[in-house]
Amino acid sequence: MKPVRFEEERNLAKDFLSNFADANGESKYMNILQDVANHKTRSVQIDLEDLINYKDLDEEFLRRVTENTRRYIGIFADAIDEVLPKPTEAFLDDDHDILMTQRSEDATENVEGSDANQKMPSEIKRYFEVYIRAPSKGRPSTLREVKASNIGQLVKISGIVTRCSDVKPLMQVAVYTCEECGFEIYQEVTARVFMPLFECPTKRCKTNNTKGNLILQLRASKFLKFQEAKIQELAEHVPKGHIPRSMTVHFRGELTRKVAPGDVVELSGIFLPIPYTGFRAMRAGLVADTYLEAMSVTHFKKKYEEYELRGDEEEQIARLAEDGDIYNKLAQSLAPEIYGHEDIKKALLLLLVGAPHRKLKDGMKIRGDLHLCLMGDPGVAKSQLLKHIINVAPRGVYTTGKGSSGVGLTAAVQKDPVTNEMVLEGGALVLADMGICAIDEFDKMDESDRTAIHEVMEQQTVSIAKAGITTSLNARTAVLAAANPAWGRYDLRRTPAENINLPPALLSRFDLLWLILDRADMDSDLEMARHVVYVHQNKESPALGFTPLEPSVLRAYISAARRLSPYVPKELEEYIATAYSGMRQEEAKSNTPHSYTTVRTLLSILRISAALARLRFSGIVAQSDVDEALRLMQMSKFSLYSDDLKKSGLDAISDIYSILRDEAARANKMDVSYAHALNWISRKGYSEAQLKECLEEYASLNVWQIHPHTFDIRFIDA
Amino acid sequence: MVGPMYDFLANPLGAVRSTFDKAIGSESDPSSFDGKDWGAVDLFRHFLFDQARLSQVPILNGATINWIKPNTLVRFRGMIQDMLGNELYVGAYKDGSAWRTNKFMDISQCPVEFNSPDMRLWERRLLYCVPVPGLSSWAESTSDVAVNMCMDSTSEQRDKRRRMDIEVVDHNDFPVSGDEFEFSPSAKRMKEDPKNEGPCSSHVILPDVDRDSLPCLVKIYDSPESELKLNDVFEFVGVLTFDSELPSEKVDQDEFSNGLCDDVSVNLPSNKVPRLHCVIHRKLTGYDFLQNSPPTEPKPHLVKEAREALLRHLTSILGNDGVAAHFMLLHLLSRVHARADNVAVGKLSLNLTCISKEIASVFGTKLNIVIKNLLPFTKCIPLTVEYLNTVFLAPKKDYQINRLIPGVLQLAEGSHLIFDETCLETGTLDSVGIENTRLLKALAELQKVEYDFQYYKMEMMADVQILVLSEGKSNILPADIIMPFQPSSSGSSDAVPAEVLEAWRWYLATVRSMPHTIESDMQKVVENDLVTARQADRSLGSQDFSRWLTMGRLISASFGETSLSLEHWQMVKELERLRIDRLK
Repeated sequence: MKPVRFEEERNLAKDFLSNFADANGESKYMNILQDVANHKTRSVQIDLEDLINYKDLDEEFLRRVTENTRRYIGIFADAIDEVLPKPTEAFLDDDHDILMTQRSEDATENVEGSDANQKMPSEIKRYFEVYIRAPSKGRPSTLREVKASNIGQLVKISGIVTRCSDVKPLMQVAVYTCEECGFEIYQEVTARVFMPLFECPTKRCKTNNTKGNLILQLRASKFLKFQEAKIQELAEHVPKGHIPRSMTVHFRGELTRKVAPGDVVELSGIFLPIPYTGFRAMRAGLVADTYLEAMSVTHFKKKYEEYELRGDEEEQIARLAEDGDIYNKLAQSLAPEIYGHEDIKKALLLLLVGAPHRKLKDGMKIRGDLHLCLMGDPGVAKSQLLKHIINVAPRGVYTTGKGSSGVGLTAAVQKDPVTNEMVLEGGALVLADMGICAIDEFDKMDESDRTAIHEVMEQQTVSIAKAGITTSLNARTAVLAAANPAWGRYDLRRTPAENINLPPALLSRFDLLWLILDRADMDSDLEMARHVVYVHQNKESPALGFTPLEPSVLRAYISAARRLSPYVPKELEEYIATAYSGMRQEEAKSNTPHSYTTVRTLLSILRISAALARLRFSGIVAQSDVDEALRLMQMSKFSLYSDDLKKSGLDAISDIYSILRDEAARANKMDVSYAHALNWISRKGYSEAQLKECLEEYASLNVWQIHPHTFDIRFIDA
Repeated sequence: MVGPMYDFLANPLGAVRSTFDKAIGSESDPSSFDGKDWGAVDLFRHFLFDQARLSQVPILNGATINWIKPNTLVRFRGMIQDMLGNELYVGAYKDGSAWRTNKFMDISQCPVEFNSPDMRLWERRLLYCVPVPGLSSWAESTSDVAVNMCMDSTSEQRDKRRRMDIEVVDHNDFPVSGDEFEFSPSAKRMKEDPKNEGPCSSHVILPDVDRDSLPCLVKIYDSPESELKLNDVFEFVGVLTFDSELPSEKVDQDEFSNGLCDDVSVNLPSNKVPRLHCVIHRKLTGYDFLQNSPPTEPKPHLVKEAREALLRHLTSILGNDGVAAHFMLLHLLSRVHARADNVAVGKLSLNLTCISKEIASVFGTKLNIVIKNLLPFTKCIPLTVEYLNTVFLAPKKDYQINRLIPGVLQLAEGSHLIFDETCLETGTLDSVGIENTRLLKALAELQKVEYDFQYYKMEMMADVQILVLSEGKSNILPADIIMPFQPSSSGSSDAVPAEVLEAWRWYLATVRSMPHTIESDMQKVVENDLVTARQADRSLGSQDFSRWLTMGRLISASFGETSLSLEHWQMVKELERLRIDRLK
């Protein structure tokens, strides 16, 4: 390795600063420097990504910058000093500038300027601060990946801020005046502690042997804002059986006051040791403390909308999107360890994806979040499903109806213990704004919260009028509720409405409602026995029939899907309207209506269809989306009322027949294509196998003819 | 091999230094030794294990700390309670023209210029270890040396003198080849130490140390992170260092009173917490706590004999309740084998019900004594409302001092807990109490403890045997087995001879760690039994299935067998039937 000559390095830096052109052809850094010259901004952020993209990139130079960053900050600062343009705008001189002009006049008069302490350090003249920023691409390291070998290098880490100190002034250049000779003496301070000068070092004082007293001039000295913070590893980065590590971070200048305890941040900075000084050095012997000199701070984005895709993720998503079966695959990958429940998982997937929010011209808002309620016997993995969804969602809050905090689900006014002021504290629903709020034990919720949840679920706000505070907080959250039936277990002798035990006003706000029952059946029992024996034998869960997608991939796919906002094309409007009116009529016909089909149901259909379109990465809702939405809604009802259907005496086959006959009669046609038939019956919750069975059975009765290849149906006119 | 030439016990650093010098002689660049051993550890391993000298290394505890000298080789047995992260130290530096190392040392022998290019920063990991919580008295480790020293306590002063003489002599015929070493400041310093400071000061007096619970800050070199986990029980062999200077850092502190100083040396002053520079560490199992452990093969007749005797003893302790004694035996053998789908496979917590306060006073203490005598780590916790409202069950991170504050539930793997619910009375739980009951429930159901890191919680796996004594079924601690206790006598309390106890401990430790399989035809039988059982009773779930299989495993293990036989499976069903009958 050839020795590094800092003169050359400075030239390289100068060259980069003056010649770098960004994507738009603008010379980015010269513009920043112009702002600096005009005193509009203080910080000059040198993005290493720009250095990578720079046309005359010198790989070696880049490596040197990342490995000896602190030195290169000085080099870049020197380079900036040289290329800094003249100010183009007038700005008010503050006293610092006045001091500077005076000093520069002095300097020209001063013939004795050769003395090191008398020469003005360039630090004091600078108005700007230089930061070198690590490229934003690439995964940030965890704290435990930062090793002794990283000392002096630029590293990028992520963590949670646990403690912050106050912002304090830190002396950068100490300025003294001599009582005897009147010269200004400068002392650069690089550490947190420094030994002040006491004797005037100028030639004049030395030769006269006057030992002039030095007086520290606080107004003339240069101070930097300084803040110390502690960051800790994120829980997901800690290996099993270990304790999160922590690290000290120093923020200087413009980077101070950017973080608060509890923030999840990504930092780039220089990993540096602080040798112990003074007495501690003797005691501690040879240990060095380390800290991170922060260079940039980014707060972690936890909302879908701001989720940034990494390079490989984009590719993966594109590949997945091409795969036709993505809907099933994604749904399967939700809580893969929970066996079965395909339709519920599909519904959960749609809940994660959601539909776009609509804001009408007259100010009315239509929510896009899907609400889902899971109801069922104890021990059918409801809570596990909920917890899993929260893990997948970038922003999710899990709570129980009887949440332990006094704030409850919505919000509360509380007295701040320190200031004694009344403060508003958000509850789980407010905290889950723009995310998902999973509420377990929904049926055991406090009455007050249950009233408030009505507002949250439709208006998506929480209004508070307590203790002189009247306000309304945003709670744009998708509610995922889990509840037990009224008597603990589902009682088949009672009606569903009695079992569910939630007011219709609340129920109608859920887009989908699932009932998960623990039914007696030999196969599932054997399945369970096998599973338990397998787990005991092999100390692991049986292998799944497929490889589930990683939660991170799911998250990335969903966030990509959420960017779309699909619309319903004109030709589908009629189709949806017919389907809706069909549902209304069906309800009117039956004498004991189980469902409350309202306009909300229509909105639900639209929402689910839009979510499905988003999953296909399509900007337009297709008929297949609407069909699937109707099927899901039917299935969700089916899970509730399947027992009634059996009671009503219609078996599946004859029911399918009546559906097909009614549909054909409505369209006034004798021919029904197989695809249409499948659509209709699947909406009612029947399977393709059942349709085939029905087709064969009625064909043998000569009710209709079946096309041997396409299976299209032609009714025989009687 | 030059092994015997070193005095590993009294001057381990000598061996470290001379191996370093030798290694550096063959390879001139010290940076190649970063994170690697240059032969010193092998030397120690050879000395300790191949030559079986481990027992000669004194054990560091509250009693021995007062006479063990710094810079000697010691052993420390403890649980990793906290991890303080990495520490950078000057691993190698140039002293004149020769490279020196600071590995396994706290204080450099000569001042190091910090920014010189001839200096390598290496890192080591800091682990804060404490004696295993709930360690039974029989499992307390003693080494040959320690025993001798303790018995010799009257003549301790004389003994000290003698030891010191030995040490001085050691230095004089320090075996390292070069004369140069004799002149190195360190050797001189060490030689001068005793003379200058007088006999007393070389023995550090630890003023406030609780003699029973001496913590230790262990510094780990070069071992992969995954090897040492939180709450693991380890034996560390290494160099003991402490400097006796009192923390006079107050001045230093005030200068930056922004409160972010959480330096290790401040919070854990080295005159209270000794430092151990670990050379070799090994994980301890149940065997290692047996006093004179003969790691014999589990001979069938030995196992059967021990089982019979132990079961008889348990029956008599439990007032001739044979069924309860059976379940108790299975409970004592249980441990978490695996985790799948959030289920801790292999746990078998026991809830003895129908125990009123009076019965508890008779049997509770006896049971406690029996279990204390059998298992290495035990604890008995009487649950009261006040206790639940005040105690810190979960460990909590205190960011002010950057330490993990231990909670009651921070336990080593295989700990046994008795919860006595009989003293619980009606009362109101506050938020702490609710949180605590939630933790207890999670521990009983999932064998997990949530550690509180304020900004988030982290679940840590636990493996704790839980025995609950209660009047009715415990709702705070949902146990796997609810067993109504029906004693027919007040229970005997014969003293058991020590060697019998030892045999039982050996039995428990052995069969607990045995492997287990279910043959395929047996598997079919089991599956069918499970399905029929569920057809008959819909309320049975996977939890019950899991419990039966665990019991099957434990019963076969208790007979020293590694696969489930039909006979033992029938025993499971019979035991369950007897239990269910009692529940009705």
